[in-house]
Amino acid sequence: MKVKALVILLGLSFTFSAFVKQSAPPVHEDSRLVDVLMALGQPAPKHYLAQVDPVQVAIGSTLVHEGKATSADGKNGSYISTIFVCTDCHNQVKEDPNPASPNPEARMSYAIANNLPFLQATTFWGMVNRESWYNDDYIIKYGDWIAPAKESLYESTQLCARECSSGRTLEAWEAEAINHYYWSLELHLRDLGLKQDEFQRLNKAISSEDASLKSSALGMLKSKYMVASPADFVDPPSDRRLGMSNEFTGDAQRGAEIFNRSCMQCHRYGGPSLFVMDDSKKTKKLFAKHIAKQTPFALYDIVRYGTHAEPGHRQYMPLYTLDRMSHQQLEDLRVFLTSW
Amino acid sequence: MANRRLSRIIGIVSIFFIASQATAQTENWMRAFNDTRVINGQSVETSFKGDMKFIISHRFGGLNGGFYELFGLDQSTIRIGLDYGVTNRLTVGAGRSSNGKTYDGFLKYRLLIQQKDGAPFSVTLYTNTAINTLEWTEPDRENYFSSRLFYTHQVMFARRMSDNLSIQLMPTVVHRNLVANDNVSHDVYALGAALRYRLTHHLAVQAEGYYLPLEQIGAPYTMPLSIGIDIETKGHQFQLSLSNSLGMTEKIFITETTQLWEKGGIGIGFNITRDFKVKGRK
Repeated sequence: MKVKALVILLGLSFTFSAFVKQSAPPVHEDSRLVDVLMALGQPAPKHYLAQVDPVQVAIGSTLVHEGKATSADGKNGSYISTIFVCTDCHNQVKEDPNPASPNPEARMSYAIANNLPFLQATTFWGMVNRESWYNDDYIIKYGDWIAPAKESLYESTQLCARECSSGRTLEAWEAEAINHYYWSLELHLRDLGLKQDEFQRLNKAISSEDASLKSSALGMLKSKYMVASPADFVDPPSDRRLGMSNEFTGDAQRGAEIFNRSCMQCHRYGGPSLFVMDDSKKTKKLFAKHIAKQTPFALYDIVRYGTHAEPGHRQYMPLYTLDRMSHQQLEDLRVFLTSW
Repeated sequence: MANRRLSRIIGIVSIFFIASQATAQTENWMRAFNDTRVINGQSVETSFKGDMKFIISHRFGGLNGGFYELFGLDQSTIRIGLDYGVTNRLTVGAGRSSNGKTYDGFLKYRLLIQQKDGAPFSVTLYTNTAINTLEWTEPDRENYFSSRLFYTHQVMFARRMSDNLSIQLMPTVVHRNLVANDNVSHDVYALGAALRYRLTHHLAVQAEGYYLPLEQIGAPYTMPLSIGIDIETKGHQFQLSLSNSLGMTEKIFITETTQLWEKGGIGIGFNITRDFKVKGRK
């Protein structure tokens, strides 16, 4: 009896050791970034999912694109917001040519090349791989609500659903489905442009017990993508008539791209905004007339401060941080909107 | 006969329903008018999905009423209505006018939409049923409910010609179950025309008129002609107008207009609309 038990125990331990050895395979192009980070010693994020459920992904995708969905057990949901859907402000694909150093100029060139909108908020692509949300100056806008949202993707999604979209708190099944959808847009090593020697370095660090080697590889890996999206709020120029024309020369052609890829995403006929714009002389004249003022049609103020939801009129415009629209781009837009 | 009418109604409703299921991308849609009304009549535009539009309209009597009538203000008529966008193409609406104590309900469907690099003009179908609820003038005789009913069917063709100019044509038929005498028609055929010219981003001049052979409606009725301005603000639309008609539903302004422009029979009027989001856009 004792011998039998010993044999079984040995068999089990052999199987287990073989399994442990197999759990750290070499990293490759298709490796999930999160798995590599965890293999290098980083704890799993709170929103971590080992398995992504395609059914939940589909439900989450519907919520993100259409604003309401039916749960897996057949429960019909209501609209999260009657005004906005997530895609009004967030792209769903890679939007920066270099995920390690996002900047609005390169992003616009990439948007033109790939026919993407140029929006206020960051892409959902790689959202799960970030380590904080609503960073930097968002505390100015949302105050104490920022603290939990900054540390938790779940809380930041709820803040966005409730406040940013002028909507409501997500139900548990909705938040779960959206999390699955987020994970369907997670980063893989192929997205980071790693070189062969960097793959070797990662493999060596993972198979090593050396903590410093792991830490160094972790640092290298995190330098390849955006761990947190920066958010720098800036004021409009003090002299709005002059704008920033002393420092930046606007380009009307680039301005037209910003107009079409930014403004018209919401201000088109049938869009979420009640203020419908077009590229006609009449619309441009409206902006030219208000350029030096502080009115709802003053370009610099709208872009840098956004507008606010009001009782009975919850449509509002989120601001563009400096990281999402540069001074140069704002001058490009100004030149486009004030010349005809 | 009743069965045929019922099956026709079911057929029309089915066509609207099936057609409304077609999803449509709105990205390249072009609007010809700012609002769903030109002045008294409908424009080719419809409400977007989930949009509820509250409309309050007033029409006043002719300026030729002089000071005694305070230039028409004593003859105020009003219509209060609600429109709702079932889909981006299908709108349903209902309202009540003080003129003739008339209730009306309508369906409006965008068959074709002018688009950048797409359809060159828009086509909208419109059908309205109006019920006059005034007390019978001769209650002692046999009166029928059907005598209170009026139907309007309209096809609207519109094109935004340029950034500033839009035009619309609307062949129309108004069917009246009960008419005053045998010399006038139950079916009144009319051809409407409307235009909009943008003066600024928010301000446009609009005009609307209907041509119809007058023998269809008999004296003292005439053709309606209206001009106005349209002021767009976020969520509101203000339309101020001058018109020889007191009506705000087709059966009244097409078949029951009595005032003449050349004799000062011009009344001031306005429409104020407020949009509410009831459901999401997608």
